[in-house]
Amino acid sequence: MVQKLRSFWRNALGRESFEDGMDAEMRFHLESRAADLERRGLSPEDAARQARLEFGSLEKQKDLARAGIGLRLLDEVVGDLRYALRTFVRQKGFTAAAVVTLALGIGANAAIFNLIDALMLRSLPVSRPGELLLLKLGSQKDLVGDPTFSYPMVQAVEAERDVFSGVAAFSGFGCSAGSGETLRRVPCAVVSGGFYETLGLVPAAGRLLARSDNQPGAPVGAVVSYGYWERQFGKSPAAVGQTLLVNGVPVTIVGVSPRGFAGANVGAAADLTIPIAAIDRLSPSGRPLLGKGNSWLRVLARLQPGVTEAQAAARLSADWPRIADASIDPQWPAFRKESVTGAVMRFEPGATGWTYLREIYVKPLSVLMTVVSLVLLIACANVASLLLARASARRKEIAVRMAIGAGRGRLVRQLLVESLALSLLGAACGIWIASSGANLLVNMISAGGLPIVFDLTPSWRILAFTTGIATATALLFGLAPALQATGFAAAAVLKEDLRTGTARLRLLPVLVTVQIALTLVLLIGAGLFVRTFRNLQLLDPGFRADGVLFVEFDRRLGGVPLTVLPGVRALPGVASATIATHTPLSGSTWSEAAVPAGQTLPERDNAVFIGAGPAFFSTLGIELVAGREFTERDAAHTPAVAIVNERYAETYFPGQNPVGRHLIATLNGQRDLEIVGVARNTYTRSLRGVPPRSVYVPYAQLTGMQFGNVVVRRTGATPNLPDELRRTLQPFVPTTPLEARPLPDQVAGTIVRERLLAALAASFGALALLLASVGVYGLLAYGVAQRTREIGIRMALGAERRKVIALVLRGARRSLVIGLAIGLPAALGASRWVESMLFGLKPTDPVAIGAAVVLLAAVAHLAAYVPALRASRVDPLVALRHE
Amino acid sequence: MAEQADLLRGTLDLLILKSVSLGPLHGYGVLLRIEQITQGAMQIEQGALYPALYRLEHQGLLASEWGTSDNNRRAKYYTLTAAGRKRFKEETESWNRTAAAMSLALKTRPSEM
Repeated sequence: MVQKLRSFWRNALGRESFEDGMDAEMRFHLESRAADLERRGLSPEDAARQARLEFGSLEKQKDLARAGIGLRLLDEVVGDLRYALRTFVRQKGFTAAAVVTLALGIGANAAIFNLIDALMLRSLPVSRPGELLLLKLGSQKDLVGDPTFSYPMVQAVEAERDVFSGVAAFSGFGCSAGSGETLRRVPCAVVSGGFYETLGLVPAAGRLLARSDNQPGAPVGAVVSYGYWERQFGKSPAAVGQTLLVNGVPVTIVGVSPRGFAGANVGAAADLTIPIAAIDRLSPSGRPLLGKGNSWLRVLARLQPGVTEAQAAARLSADWPRIADASIDPQWPAFRKESVTGAVMRFEPGATGWTYLREIYVKPLSVLMTVVSLVLLIACANVASLLLARASARRKEIAVRMAIGAGRGRLVRQLLVESLALSLLGAACGIWIASSGANLLVNMISAGGLPIVFDLTPSWRILAFTTGIATATALLFGLAPALQATGFAAAAVLKEDLRTGTARLRLLPVLVTVQIALTLVLLIGAGLFVRTFRNLQLLDPGFRADGVLFVEFDRRLGGVPLTVLPGVRALPGVASATIATHTPLSGSTWSEAAVPAGQTLPERDNAVFIGAGPAFFSTLGIELVAGREFTERDAAHTPAVAIVNERYAETYFPGQNPVGRHLIATLNGQRDLEIVGVARNTYTRSLRGVPPRSVYVPYAQLTGMQFGNVVVRRTGATPNLPDELRRTLQPFVPTTPLEARPLPDQVAGTIVRERLLAALAASFGALALLLASVGVYGLLAYGVAQRTREIGIRMALGAERRKVIALVLRGARRSLVIGLAIGLPAALGASRWVESMLFGLKPTDPVAIGAAVVLLAAVAHLAAYVPALRASRVDPLVALRHE
Repeated sequence: MAEQADLLRGTLDLLILKSVSLGPLHGYGVLLRIEQITQGAMQIEQGALYPALYRLEHQGLLASEWGTSDNNRRAKYYTLTAAGRKRFKEETESWNRTAAAMSLALKTRPSEM
């Protein structure tokens, strides 16, 4: 077999020398034979003639020789390909329709798959990624586990040297680099000392961080990413050893990480990587992160050679008391201690690193993948019917070719080559669509949140995937028409009068029905997602985001001084300004325990707290139901006050007016607060679910507060306001670049997922609708063309135009009704799968379903009407004389 | 010419292998050698020779090399490969078995039934 392949390729590639050799060899034979014959007494001419006669046809022998070694097949396939391309050029309309249909189908699939690949499937560019495990902390009940660890626990796990050969802990970390004009925010990561060693990376320059760097008091060193090295230092080797100001602290660049590696946190490329132990020097708020109370690190680990996961789990559980002891703060309440002592270590494959995006986008992406697969199916059905209609138009051509001796296999092969070429053309265009589409998707996901950086260069996976789809498509739609077109005896068709239209295609209406059913599923899905997004957009969050700008101060700054407010209020275009520890829907909240005075404080936090400055409620447009708002008079030395929201009031003061009552809360120990007002409920965590019970306390009365935002309501169109805000506030924080962001963007950021789904589901629904209408049009146009004579006779016999139109429409209506009947239950089944992603409506939402059915029926009728109208304009005389 | 036997399927391949096993030959030489060793009893269609040679080479049973012929012309010479030698041996044995069985069968007389 190998020998044959080698021989085939040698001859196929060295085709010219093969042909020359064969020719020379046979000529030598003829000449030798002629010479022998001459020796026997024939004249030179007679001898040459005799030799040729004995040998037979030179070309025939050559052809037989080629066939013997498989070269003839190659010649035939090349011929088929050339023939196919000629056909494509001749039938530009057909080719364009088929290629565009396929390109959209394949492109959509590749784009979504590209994202799935980047997010979930691609291994980290590290050595032996398959060995990496992602550690998770579960319990006897919690089989999934949580992938966050405190630093002391990471250190305790690192000490398990007989279980793990390496432990790599990491987390993203916001920091700024440079000073003055060059001050920039830089995405950073902090890593444990064994991070690079565990991943087995080789530096592009300098060295990578080692355990000795991750010691308290060690000089702070940083590894820069290859991209940062390229952008900031032009890949200069002199970058290593330079000092960089990070958060105003001098940090030495020790080396450059290898190209293509930007951290184990997929989607959040880190340009600077710093040891965990240095975090308290880079940020005052970093110190608590080194303590036991914060679980914030993700951990990848490699087992010791020869240790299985089961053995590792057993050894860890035997050693768990020691690990738990190192990770538990004796002051913790009992339930919290138990959550650590009762924990069980779980392992997950870690080859693909970790990203929070995965949890968020797994479901939407699998929904989208299903959607685009359906689109591809519809596209395939479309191309299939295009090919089918064309193949049947070519029945005579095929019948003639069979009659003059072409084998059935030969014809099937030719049709297959044709469709394969078509789908590869489509795939090539599709890859182009995919690469631009995937970038668009990442931009959509990134909107409003952290910038997401993905390496979207198409990998071999995507190439294999698209080519796979293309080939499968070719087989799917190429074979059916090919077999149907050749599945009859040549003589029967030659004799058959094509004008009678007796030979109708049974497959065509089936394909259109399938298209209708699939399109209905997609349209209903699109309706559900669009309405979910609209519901979230129209939801009253309890505050008015329009016209609100905010500037977030870095948490390490110890809060925002209230003295900034007069300057901000004096800016032109500022209607009101305030300070708040948290802005709504920022993704971070602060919770404490708070109950009416006299009750015991619960162990767990039970209310969301927000530290609010003067005019907080008017600036954010949160209505007060009772009492007053915070003012300048609520200062550090005045009595401690609070404002609660309606939900809190209903829970703890049912049926009473809480104004004037007292709360106790865990603020620096226990503190007594007098309730001075009741505010409307606001969605501070998420737009879904119920607004949390909230307690607002004056910003000026907080101590040790690390969060701070300056929040401003603008009067109208003041385009310079963001810049002016930044300029006014920057002097207070020279080491951090500030940025004024519109609150509506932050709100929109929380429904990015829904927006993505709504936009894509709607686009794909529209695409499916377009394809299905082309399918309906094609079916009827073909049918009308086939039945021109029949229609002509009917009209000659006095059929009215209206009747003819109805006759043609009837054909479409059948496919439509059957398609809807199949599609509706399918859609209902599918929508249950996405129920958890919907908001404010049920999967059986009558509006979405009704709209989809009406839209599809209307478009299908419109598509059917064009050929119907054409049929009604058939001139009986022309039709009957036709051919 | 003496009586000609129809070339059975596979016989041509076996004859080519036999001829080449006696020493390297060019295509025309194979033809002459077959005529010689069959003493003219088997005459093969000249044209059919080349498809067979190419097929055997494709299967790796023959190897070829360009060389110089007796009359000082460039000619393609065929030799047996190791695989060819093995196949030749197997085919010969199989042929002999068949031939022996056939001849035994054809010699059968009514009295021996």
